Amino acid sequence: MAEYNKLTPEIAEQLCAVVGAQRFSAGENVKEEYSHDEMPIYGKARPEAVCLVETTEEVSEIMKICSANKIPVTVRGAGTGLVGGCVPVNGGIVLSTEKMNRILSYDMNNLVVHTQPGVLLCDLAADALAHGLMYPPDPGEKTATVGGNVSTNAGGMRAVKYGVTRDYVLAMTVVLPCGEIMKLGKTVCKTSSGYSLLHLMVGSEGTLGIITELTLKLIPKPIQDVSLILPFQDIATAIASVPSIKLANLDPQSIEFMERDIVDSSAAFTGNAVFPTVVGGREAGAYILVTLVGNSETELIGKMDRLGEIAEKVGAYDVLVVWTDNLKKDVWAARSAFLTVIEAETRLLDEMDVVVPVDKIAEFLVYTHDEAERQGVYVRSFGHAGDGNLHIYCCSNDLEEEEFKRRVKALMDKCYEKCTEFEGQVSGEHSIGHAKKEYLRESVGDTAYGLMGAIKKVFDPDGILNPGKVCHNV
Amino acid sequence: MLNILVCVKQVPDVNLVKIDPVTGSLIRAGVPSILNPLDANALEAAVRTRERYGGSVTCITMGPDMAAEALRECLAAGADKAVLLSDRAFANADTLATSYVIVSAARLLGDFDLIFCGKESLDGATGQMGAQLAERFGASLVSSMSLLRSIDFEKKTVIAERELERGIETCEARYPCLFTVEKTNYRPRIPNLRSWRASRFAEITRFTSATIPGLDPAQIGDPGSPTKVPRTYPPEVGEAGMMIDEGSVDRNVEKLLDLLGDVL
Amino acid sequence: MNKHEYKDLWVYIQHDGKAVHPVSLELCCEIRKIGDASREALAAVIVGDLPESEKDRVLDCGVDKIIHVSGTGYDFFNTDAYTNLFTVLCRKYKPSAVFVGGTIFGRDFAPRFACRLPTGCTSDATQLIWNPETADIEFVEPAVGGKMMAVITVPDARPQVGTIRPGTFKYAPTGRRACITAEEIIDFPVGEIRTKILDFKADEFDESLNIADADVIVCVGNGVKGADQLPKYRELAELLGGKLGCTRPVFDRGILPFKLVIGQSGVVIKPKLYLAFGVSGAVNHVTGITDSDRIVAVNKDPDAAIFRYCDYGIAGDMDEVCGMMIGKLKAGKKLSPQKDVI
Repeated sequence: MAEYNKLTPEIAEQLCAVVGAQRFSAGENVKEEYSHDEMPIYGKARPEAVCLVETTEEVSEIMKICSANKIPVTVRGAGTGLVGGCVPVNGGIVLSTEKMNRILSYDMNNLVVHTQPGVLLCDLAADALAHGLMYPPDPGEKTATVGGNVSTNAGGMRAVKYGVTRDYVLAMTVVLPCGEIMKLGKTVCKTSSGYSLLHLMVGSEGTLGIITELTLKLIPKPIQDVSLILPFQDIATAIASVPSIKLANLDPQSIEFMERDIVDSSAAFTGNAVFPTVVGGREAGAYILVTLVGNSETELIGKMDRLGEIAEKVGAYDVLVVWTDNLKKDVWAARSAFLTVIEAETRLLDEMDVVVPVDKIAEFLVYTHDEAERQGVYVRSFGHAGDGNLHIYCCSNDLEEEEFKRRVKALMDKCYEKCTEFEGQVSGEHSIGHAKKEYLRESVGDTAYGLMGAIKKVFDPDGILNPGKVCHNV
Repeated sequence: MLNILVCVKQVPDVNLVKIDPVTGSLIRAGVPSILNPLDANALEAAVRTRERYGGSVTCITMGPDMAAEALRECLAAGADKAVLLSDRAFANADTLATSYVIVSAARLLGDFDLIFCGKESLDGATGQMGAQLAERFGASLVSSMSLLRSIDFEKKTVIAERELERGIETCEARYPCLFTVEKTNYRPRIPNLRSWRASRFAEITRFTSATIPGLDPAQIGDPGSPTKVPRTYPPEVGEAGMMIDEGSVDRNVEKLLDLLGDVL
Repeated sequence: MNKHEYKDLWVYIQHDGKAVHPVSLELCCEIRKIGDASREALAAVIVGDLPESEKDRVLDCGVDKIIHVSGTGYDFFNTDAYTNLFTVLCRKYKPSAVFVGGTIFGRDFAPRFACRLPTGCTSDATQLIWNPETADIEFVEPAVGGKMMAVITVPDARPQVGTIRPGTFKYAPTGRRACITAEEIIDFPVGEIRTKILDFKADEFDESLNIADADVIVCVGNGVKGADQLPKYRELAELLGGKLGCTRPVFDRGILPFKLVIGQSGVVIKPKLYLAFGVSGAVNHVTGITDSDRIVAVNKDPDAAIFRYCDYGIAGDMDEVCGMMIGKLKAGKKLSPQKDVI
């Protein structure tokens, strides 16, 4: 078991000397926001100090000091996580990448961008577009950092066509717990060259090393795109349509589902009722939102026609065409606001980010709703119908916190068990942190979990990097 | 059968227009052209009126060839016919000359009972077109119309609500009647695939100055426009205010609140 | 047309039989200055009866002439009778310019009689300049969403017609002058008025929508990510004892109602403190805030035009700054050493 030391004034002084007083805070001066992420239900923990690093060399110096003194180090991006990943539950310092927010350069011949990890996803996406390129991963939280996205292997809305963050990481600079600086990966698209340490770093949640620079793959921006809204009677019919849509050679960029309840909340909250609630005289109970891309309008029309035929067969009330740029902006802004809406309307909140096979989504949702009702917890959901990744929020405005936690645990135990039975994954893109560790162990089994722990030990023998997370116990 | 006309305009999305910091001139490149947002509300009001009472909705615009795209958007959202008035001779028209061309062309298409317009355009924003079109059509004017309540086909009158400065007026107006439409109750619909698809292939009727008989050259384009724009210039800017930069948001806000101490 | 045959500057006095609309008085005061420059008389056109005390307020602005019109058809605002009235009057008197308040009614009939005459009509000028060389009035107005200023003239037609938004000019009467009154009777057949008012329901007074007299205004501009961000700005406004406002694009995006739009096409405000969050600083917005005692701007673009108009600026994320202000105010941060938290 790891033994950690407290930050002494002397060590604090050494750390402060690395980044300078402007970018260092300790004790009382540490801002409250560094003690939690966006899911405070898992508990808050105030770091003993916060270093706002700007360079790889600073990170290396800090790691040397911390490993010499056995001080835990938790890396933090924008703090938008949902599983307590950036919360220093075992004390020590927080190393924030928020000031490493420069996009360094584009290589237009090899279609890659070199960037610092603290760049916000929305800034990278917009900047790439201005270069005529697209960064395909599109997680809902646009103000997360790309470093955070890589650390959690974030997926997002476009994963059904383009894959997830992992598929776009070509190379990175990593600082190991001992302070050694290491480069992983190359600016090429293939490798058959030994174990992929690069891919081990992706999704490692700051437990193996600290990412200080990234080389990300970009693609040419699609020439034309269109989004289509398919309203359905209920969520079961909506989800049942997804396999047919996926089979139709449409190569959709995204297939999202949303329940009416959350669409209504979003409309009330944003004051912008983008999604029609009554379609052809019938109340819509759920929606599928599909985005198609193509090289010409003719190609798109061909795809839309095929989608239209499928929509009729699977019982969609209609197919609504989101064609103009301003309407696309409105529709996707409404979709992106869902989590904010839930957070605003809910006092106590917990979430699951499971992935199940696409043809099991409906069954899983029904199961969850039934179990939630049994536990007296309110459940709201939306997510990526195309890849089976569901965001399920457990909410309560009237329960006591302890009682809520107890009920949610009972609910989640059931749901994760069901998820495992369906051959699903504990987390699609929000990752494990310290919140979902037990469910991960149950899901992957003791052998796999043990191997993860062993790998952690190879990288970080003293367990000072983000202790207590993923597969590490203190 | 109701004969309904909707007058629309394609405008640059001025919210995206930038100013060249060196020359002070407008950077128009890359700025998308869109259907004037308030015209979409006018169209929605027109289409709902047709859905309730029957009839036909024609949309008309004056502009370059690419303005056909704005008309297709109208067709997708429920218009039956689209008419584009396009000619170099129409260029540089003010509201007086524009209303003259639109009404001259509309007369060739029949007698319209109801005419719907947006309240104003995003770019010119004079808000004069409705009044001047009403004048040239010889129509009654119901501006800031927020709800078309009912139509009396016997009396040939319309009852509608208007959003005025201090309240809602209900008024009765005789045909032909021109409305400028408020967005309150007329959120534009999202077109369905069938009507959107049809709009991509629909025929658009085109008129030039030569195909509108009897058009007076002195009343169109620049010669027909009594208002002129002799010059434009970037807005004068004052001296920069005091920028607070204390190194962190926290300290900036602290400083700001200190500075504001004497105001409140 | 010989434009030198056209003389006098007219202002239409909009009133409801009890009081003159403030915009008409503002116009009289501003046009008085043009008249002094161009050596033309300032005439007030009053339709129907006005209480003496209200007429005095018009005279106080220094009008040289009153054209008082009586007749049928003017009992309620309608474009048919008023369009006819101004067409008849303009043809008879040949004024060089006619100014009408940019109320909904003014914006209905002014362009219409201009079309009938026909002549040129401008709207929403924020500055009026008489050019002695051309003898034309230059109507200066924000264009292209306030990113440019455009000078509009009517060089070859008369009268030059302009509608001006309420609040654009100041009501600063300069005193009476010798004034003559011309009486006109113009009957418009009531049967030819094509619109009829059936009912009027005054808005329920919603205090939060009444921002014209607020002491503190927190304004959100187009930089706002979405309506979901609004609660914190409302909260900040409340903490400061003020109200929330917005810029035109925020209304266009459907996020806030028109009554909260600050600027030339909305409300002109005169608060003690105005805080602009994510406001770019387009002129048509800025014209509505220049009378604020203190202007604070927060914008992530350090080159945003709004910083040219502010007293204090912070280049940074609007949501973050707003959240921080709320936090500090709630934590008991005192705005002034002598006073308690507002």
